[in-house]
Amino acid sequence: MTAPASPRQPLSWPSLLGRGLFFFALWLVLIGAAPKDWPVGLIAAAAATGASIPLWPPESRLSLTGLVRFVLRFLPQAMVAGFDVARRAFARRIAMKPGLVTYRASLRPGMAQGALCAVMSLQPGKLPVSCAASGDMRVHCLDSDASVTAELAADEAAFLRILPGDRSGA
Amino acid sequence: MPESLTLTALFVLLASAAGLAIVLRSAIAIEKLMAVQLLGTGGAATLLLLGAATAQPALADVALLLVLLSAFSCAAFTLGESEPPQAATKPDEPA
Amino acid sequence: MMGLTDAFTLVCVVAGALLFLAGTVGLLRFPDTLSRLHALSKADNLGLGLIVLGLLPQQASPMGGVKLVCIWLLAQLSAATASQLIAGIAARRKPQA
Repeated sequence: MTAPASPRQPLSWPSLLGRGLFFFALWLVLIGAAPKDWPVGLIAAAAATGASIPLWPPESRLSLTGLVRFVLRFLPQAMVAGFDVARRAFARRIAMKPGLVTYRASLRPGMAQGALCAVMSLQPGKLPVSCAASGDMRVHCLDSDASVTAELAADEAAFLRILPGDRSGA
Repeated sequence: MPESLTLTALFVLLASAAGLAIVLRSAIAIEKLMAVQLLGTGGAATLLLLGAATAQPALADVALLLVLLSAFSCAAFTLGESEPPQAATKPDEPA
Repeated sequence: MMGLTDAFTLVCVVAGALLFLAGTVGLLRFPDTLSRLHALSKADNLGLGLIVLGLLPQQASPMGGVKLVCIWLLAQLSAATASQLIAGIAARRKPQA
């Protein structure tokens, strides 16, 4: 598992190794487990690990229970989002009031905020449009009358539980 | 079973094609980019269904490739778009 | 005679196909670009997810099933990011869309 050494901070090798193994396992699942293909998979896993370093520094960690709870919360909501759009599309009259809502996120811009935006774009009736440096997010809503801000805050709180102690994003 | 899966594949293909026709008729460049997204998911769904109907697992690889291509084209479009004003990411950074 | 797994497959796959139809109808009927993006990113990805779920019992090997789920996860991930990127461009071009 080779990765370019960062000049600023010492890399934590165990976490990088785990990450590389994860990428290699993903490669095995997608491409197949024939041993003659393994060299390519190892190179691909090493490259993926190297590419992941600037995006997700090895020091940051995830809370596993927070992640599980988050997925349990997010999956049903993603399904509700799909059916919500379907219901609106098949309704006899298009009843919606699209508009932009501004929401102040407590996350700083960076990887974590980007991930939050991506997750929120799968929530029912919401689609983040832009994230300003101050943490202001503009969210496009199918129903700008609904209690959007409260829902967004609840989503963000669930998301923050994945990142214990590290609220700066980075 | 294979017949009904093939029928569903045809249905998804038709729905995606109709969506493509709608989106490509629009004059807005972003809506044309949405066609790429539509092609990615709709094409992947059609291929997965056909792969299961004809017992050809290799079609799943093609579906994966379509998803990958649509992701890359969206990233490329955004990078080209966001360079002049307040670029959030460095232009030379691998997306 | 249709087994229980086949019935499960059919229900999921047909529901997924209907969601694709819903996405297309949404593209046709929703009033503005960003709303159409909602239709595309949400309905179609749930459709793909349901189709993958329905096809899982039909796989010959468990590995094939894991692969299908990985394909769906990657598609979901890329669609979530891409729809947000597209929305960003749309808003930048037309500040009050």
